[in-house]
Amino acid sequence: MKNTRVAVDVGGTFTDVVIMDETTGAIRIEKTSSTPDDPMVAILNGIDQGNIDLSDVSMFSHGTTVATNALITRNLARTAMVCTEGFRDVVEIRRANKEDLWDTYKDVAKPYVPRRDRLVVKECVDANGTVLEALDEEGARRVANVLKKRGVASVAVCFMNSYTNGANEQRMRDILLEVMPDIPVSISSQVLPEIFEHERFSTTMANAAVSPSVVDYVERLEGKLADGGYERDLLLLHTGGGVMTPASVKDFAARLAGSGIAAGAIASRFIGNLCGFDNSIGFDMGGTSTDVSLVYEGKSRVTKDWYIEYGYPIRFPSIEVLTIGAGGGSLAWKDEGGSLRNGPQSAGAFPGPACYKNGNEVATNTDANVVLGRLGTSLAGGKITLDPALAEASVRETVAEPFGMELHEAAEAIVAVANANMANAVRLLSISRGYDPRDFALVAFGGAGALHGAAIAKELSIPTVIIPPNPGVTSALGCLLVDIQHDFSDSFMAAAADTKPEDVEAAFERLEAMAAERLKHEGVAPKDIVMQRTVEMMYQGQWRALAVSAPSKVTDIESLIDGFHKEHHREFNFRRDDAPVSIFRVGLTATGMVPKAELQTHEVKKNTPTIETTRDVWFDGKAHTAMIFERDNLSAGATFDGPAIVEQFDSTTVIPPNTTAEVDKYMNILIRVQE
Amino acid sequence: MSDTKALDPVTFEVLKNSFITSVDQMAEQMLRTCYSFVIYNRDFSNALHDAEGNSVAQGNDDIAVHVGTLHFTCKDVIRVFKGDMMPGDVYAINDPYAGGTHFSDVRLVRPIFDEDELIGFSQSNGHWSDLGGSVPGSFDVTAKEMFREAVRITPVRLFRAGDFCSDVANLIANNTRDPASIIGDIHSQAQATQVAEREILRLVRKYGREQVKQGMNEVQDYVERAVRQRIAALPDGTWESVDYIDRDPSGGEGMIPIHIKMTIKGDQIHYDFEGSHPTIGSMYNSAPGATFSAVVAGMKTFFPDLPLNSGFYRMISVEAPENSVVSAQWPVAVTGFLMPFEKIMNSVFEMWSDIMPERAIACAFNLEYLLAGGTDKRREEDATFMFYEWLPGGWGGRRGKDGSDVTTACFGTGLMSQPNEGNERVNPTRTLEFQIKQDSAGPGKWRGGAGVQKSSLLLESEKSVMSYVCDRERAVVWGVDGGLPSMPHGLTIKRAGSDTSEWLGSVFSDFPMYSGDEFARPTAGGGGFGDPMERSTDAVLTDVIDEYVSIERAALDYGVVVKEVDADLCEYEVDEAETEKLRAHIRENRVAWARTDPEEVAEMYRKGEINSMDAVRRYAVILDWETGEPLPKTIAQFRESFERRSVAHWS
Repeated sequence: MKNTRVAVDVGGTFTDVVIMDETTGAIRIEKTSSTPDDPMVAILNGIDQGNIDLSDVSMFSHGTTVATNALITRNLARTAMVCTEGFRDVVEIRRANKEDLWDTYKDVAKPYVPRRDRLVVKECVDANGTVLEALDEEGARRVANVLKKRGVASVAVCFMNSYTNGANEQRMRDILLEVMPDIPVSISSQVLPEIFEHERFSTTMANAAVSPSVVDYVERLEGKLADGGYERDLLLLHTGGGVMTPASVKDFAARLAGSGIAAGAIASRFIGNLCGFDNSIGFDMGGTSTDVSLVYEGKSRVTKDWYIEYGYPIRFPSIEVLTIGAGGGSLAWKDEGGSLRNGPQSAGAFPGPACYKNGNEVATNTDANVVLGRLGTSLAGGKITLDPALAEASVRETVAEPFGMELHEAAEAIVAVANANMANAVRLLSISRGYDPRDFALVAFGGAGALHGAAIAKELSIPTVIIPPNPGVTSALGCLLVDIQHDFSDSFMAAAADTKPEDVEAAFERLEAMAAERLKHEGVAPKDIVMQRTVEMMYQGQWRALAVSAPSKVTDIESLIDGFHKEHHREFNFRRDDAPVSIFRVGLTATGMVPKAELQTHEVKKNTPTIETTRDVWFDGKAHTAMIFERDNLSAGATFDGPAIVEQFDSTTVIPPNTTAEVDKYMNILIRVQE
Repeated sequence: MSDTKALDPVTFEVLKNSFITSVDQMAEQMLRTCYSFVIYNRDFSNALHDAEGNSVAQGNDDIAVHVGTLHFTCKDVIRVFKGDMMPGDVYAINDPYAGGTHFSDVRLVRPIFDEDELIGFSQSNGHWSDLGGSVPGSFDVTAKEMFREAVRITPVRLFRAGDFCSDVANLIANNTRDPASIIGDIHSQAQATQVAEREILRLVRKYGREQVKQGMNEVQDYVERAVRQRIAALPDGTWESVDYIDRDPSGGEGMIPIHIKMTIKGDQIHYDFEGSHPTIGSMYNSAPGATFSAVVAGMKTFFPDLPLNSGFYRMISVEAPENSVVSAQWPVAVTGFLMPFEKIMNSVFEMWSDIMPERAIACAFNLEYLLAGGTDKRREEDATFMFYEWLPGGWGGRRGKDGSDVTTACFGTGLMSQPNEGNERVNPTRTLEFQIKQDSAGPGKWRGGAGVQKSSLLLESEKSVMSYVCDRERAVVWGVDGGLPSMPHGLTIKRAGSDTSEWLGSVFSDFPMYSGDEFARPTAGGGGFGDPMERSTDAVLTDVIDEYVSIERAALDYGVVVKEVDADLCEYEVDEAETEKLRAHIRENRVAWARTDPEEVAEMYRKGEINSMDAVRRYAVILDWETGEPLPKTIAQFRESFERRSVAHWS
C-alpha cells in the first residue's frame, strides 16, 4: 500500500529527508551530509538510511539547489542566443544600472551567454504584433549550422516584440531543432510572454542556460527512483511555491532557480496556518544569513523582481524572500566612526564562532548568546561542545573593552544590534508594504531562529512566536505538503473605463485553457484544479502595476477598479478615486491539488513540565534564573513562563522574561509576547 | 559635536540603521507609485533631516547628482516658513539658485513634529517629466536665461495641516505639459515623506524625543569622524585638473575650461575653481549648489562605503569666482548643469586617482539626453507624444581592469535605461538597432568600457521636433596614464528617401523631423588607462573574438595583428611577429603623429582616409565633424590635455 510521503530538501551542508506516514501523520527525519558534486548521491543515501521502500511511496517531492548553484557558480553548458539583428546585446546592456552605485571597481557580472555566442537573424515584428518581416530562413539556417559546429548545448531565441506575436520565434525554434534535434531550445514568447525585452530575454537566457544540467539531474533522479520502485511523478518545488513535474521542467527549468529558498517560506506558511494564523512572517535564521518572508490572508507574498545575479532578472513569479547578512556566525565589530556593527561578515561554518575552538577570536552572535547563558555549551546531543571561556574572551576583546562595557552588557549589545538589523528587514517587508506586524505571527526556525525569535517579535510588537518541532529541518517540511502550481500571465493594456468585461473574461479563459492543458499533461484530474485570477492595474500614468484578485467570472469592471483603489490604499496609504485606472496585465495561478495528509496530533493535556535544571541567563542587564527544558520531554499542553530555555538536537529556544510558552497539539511551541 | 552625554552604542546603531531604513522605505514607496517615467527609472532621491535642515540620512541607492543638495533646499524651506509650520504641512521647492539642481528636480519637504516640537524633516526629490518652458521636457539648450526653461518654484505650501492646497498645486501643474501626471507625482512624493514621518515618530515613541534628536546629530558626527580620519591619514598637498565643455554657443570657437585646484590640509579639503570660464550663453551652467554636489559625488566614489549625510560635507569647502560657469546666479539658464557637473566629477576622479591609485579611473562617457515631441498619427485619434531617452555608455579604464561597459552616466549611476518595447508602444518610433558599438572604447593597457549605438525610425507623425542634450563632441572623453581618448559624441540623421546621413552634433534644439527619418546616436566608450601598446595580446584577441574591437582597430589602436582562422568557430590568432613590428612602428612615430599639422589631418579626414577615431586617438585633432574644418583653439586645448594625460606617459 502506498502510504508514505517523502520530501527532500538539499542544503549546503545537510540533505534532510522527511518521511511521513500518511495513515498516522507521523513524521520522521533523516539527515545526511550533502554531496555537492552530485546532490543525488545524498538523496539516495538518505533513502537508504531511512529504510524507505520506494514502492510504498505515494508522493516524492524535492526542493533542489541544482539550478541555483549552476547559475551562481556559472557551471553551465555552452548556451547560445539567437536575437533579432541589431539586438544581440540587450542582455549585456541590461538596464545599465549597477548594484553598488558608488564602488567604481565593482561591476555587474557579464551575461550567462558571452557576446560571441549571441548570433542574429533578420526579422521584424512591430509593437502591435504585425509581422513586418518574416524570418530570414536562409540566415536562420546559417546560424543553426554555426551553432551546431560550435557544439552548443542549449539555445535561447529572443526576438523583439515577440510578446505580441511569437510566430518568428517559433519558426526559428523549428529550424534549430531540424539542425540540432537533441538540444533544448527556449523561446521568449513561450518562456515569458511579457513586454520589456531585457526582462524577457534575461529570463529566457537563464532558462536555456540551466536547462541541460537541470533536465539531466531530474531525469537521472527520476530514473533512480523508478528503479527503486517509485511509480508516480517526481515533484519538484519551484520558486513560485508550488511543485511541478519533470514534464514541465523540460520547458521551464529556470523556475527551479529559487527552489531551496521557497521551501522555507512555504514551510512557515504551512506552520502558521496549522496554528490558526492567516498572517505570518517567516523568520529563518541560519549561520550566515536570515531569510524573511511574509504570508497575508493565507497567501505568500509573491514578487516578479527576482534574480540570482544582479542585472539578470528571472521574472517568474517568486515567493518574496528578503535575505540579510545576519546569522549566528555574524561578526561584531567597531568601525572607524566608533559605531558597534554586526555582520554582514560572518565566521561561516569554519572557523565559526570563537567558542567553536577553531581559531576565530572575533565575537559572533553565537558567542554573545553563550556568554548570556542563552545557548548551552553542549549542542547536537553532545556532538559539539562550545568553549564558554573563548566566547567570553572574544566578547571582551571585540566589544567590552573597545566600548568600555561590562562583559554581559557587551554581549547583550551584540545581540541587540543583530536583532535590530533583523527587525528592520522584517519592517521593510511588512510595514513598508502596508502590513501591521501586530496582525501577524512570527514563525521562527533555522539553526538560530528560535534563539532570536522572541526578541524580534518584541521589537516589532508581534504578539505570537511559533517554534516548529524541528526548527533546523523545517524547510524540508515545506516540500512535503505543497500542491502542483503554475503561473501564467498575458499583457492586457487598456484603459479600465473603456474595457468590456467580456474581453477580460476572454483573456482569463485563454490562460485557463493553457493552464488546464499543462495540468492535464501532468496527470492532474480536472476536479483537483483550482484557478486563481489576478489583474494588474495602475492609475493611468503610473509606471508600476499592482495585482488585485479577480473573480472566477468577470462580469463588471467597476468591482475590479474598486478592488484596485482599496489595494492601492492599503499598500501605499493613498487612493485617487477620481483618477483614471489602467489595466496592464492579467495573471493566473493554476493549482493542481495534491491529496491532503494530516500531520500527527497529540492529545493536549495542560501540564507544568518538569524542570531539568536551571542556569543563569542574562536579560535586560541582569542574570535571571532560567528553567532549562529538553524539548523531547515537553508534551502537548505543557505551559510555562519565561525566562526559560528549551534545548533540542538542532536548536535552542529562548523564552524571555514576561513571555509565556505552551506546546500545542502539533508539538509547536507558541510563545506569547507581552508588550 | 554634541555636548550632551553620548547615546549608548546599541541605541546609536539602532537609530542610525533605522534612519536609513526610513529613507529606503520612502524610495520603495516612490518607485511604486510615481507617474513621471524619469522617476520610475530612478531619477530621484530621499532624505531625512534634523530640525535645522542638515541631512541625517540619504538613500544609498539614490542618484549621484542629488547628493549634497538636499540639505540646501530643506534649509531654504525653513528660511521661508520658519514659525509658520504645522504637522501635516508639505512644501515644494525646485529652485537651483537656492541649492537645487535643475527645475525638473522637484523636492517635497514635510516637517516632522512630535506633539508641538519640530524635530526634523523628510524630503522626497523626483525628476518630473515636464515643468513647462519652451520645449517638451523643459530642456531648451538655446535658453540663456531661466525664463525659457521652466517654472521656478521657490518654497510654496502644497498641504496645510494635511489639507491639499489644490490652488497652488494646480498653478504649478497647469504650467506644465502634463498636469495630470504632475498632480499624481505630488501625491506620490507627499506620501513618501509621510512614510519617513511615521517611522521617526515610531522611534520617538520607543526611544524618546531627546534620544532621537540626539541620534540625528550623532550620526552626522559619526560620518564626519570617519571621513576626517581618512583624510587626515592622507598626505597634505595640492592637486589640479582641468576639463572642458565643448563650446559657448554665444561665443567663438574654443572649449570652456573648468579648472579645479584641490588642497588637502590636515583633515580639511578645499576645492578652488579659480580660472574657470564665466557663464556661457546656453543652459550648460551650474549654480553653486549643484557644483558642491558634483564635488561630493566625485569624492564619494572614493569612499563608497560611507553613509551619506551632512557630516560628510563638513570638511569640504568649495570656492568659485563669481558668475562663472560653475557658480551661475539667477536668472542664468542652468537646466544643463549636468554638463559642468560631469566634468567636475571626472576631474575629481583624476585628482583622487593620484591619491588612491587602487581606485584610479579614467574619464567616463558624457551623458546624453534626447527629447522629441509631436503628434502621433498612428491611430485614428491624434495624440501628443513626448519621447525622452538617455543611453548608457562606457566608463573609464581602471588600474588592472578594463572600464565598465554600457553603464549609466556617472551623474546618476542608479538610473536605468529604458526598454525599447515600452518606447515603441507609446511613441511613433521603431528601434532599428540597440547594441554595443564596436571600437567605441578608448584604447589603453586597460581599455575603457564600451558604448552603444541606437538607431530609430520615426513612424507616422506630424509637427515632430527633436532636441539633443549632450557634450564631448570636442572635449572628447580622455584617457589617462598613457591611455587614449575614445570618440566624439554626436547624433546623425538620415532623411526619408536619402542615402546619406547628416551630422547634427551633440547639442541642438527644436530640430524638425518627418515620418521616415532615421536618427542614430552612438555613446562614447570610456577613456583608456595606461599605454595601449602594453595591452596583452590575449586581451586584444578576446576583444576581437567578442567583437568589442575590430581586426582593423586592433592593429591601429593596439598594434596587434589578428588573423581570422574560422569565424564560425570563433577562432582567431595573433601574429606575434607582425605585432612586434607594428608596435615598434607605432611607438616610434606616435609622438610625431600627435603633433601633426592639424590642416594635414583635416585634409585626410575630408578625403575619407581617416575617421574621427583616428583624428582624436592618433592625431589629437578636433574638427568640425560635418565639414572637416579644423578648430584651432579647441585643438590647442585638446592637445594640451592629450600631451599631459597620454603622451607624457609613453615610454
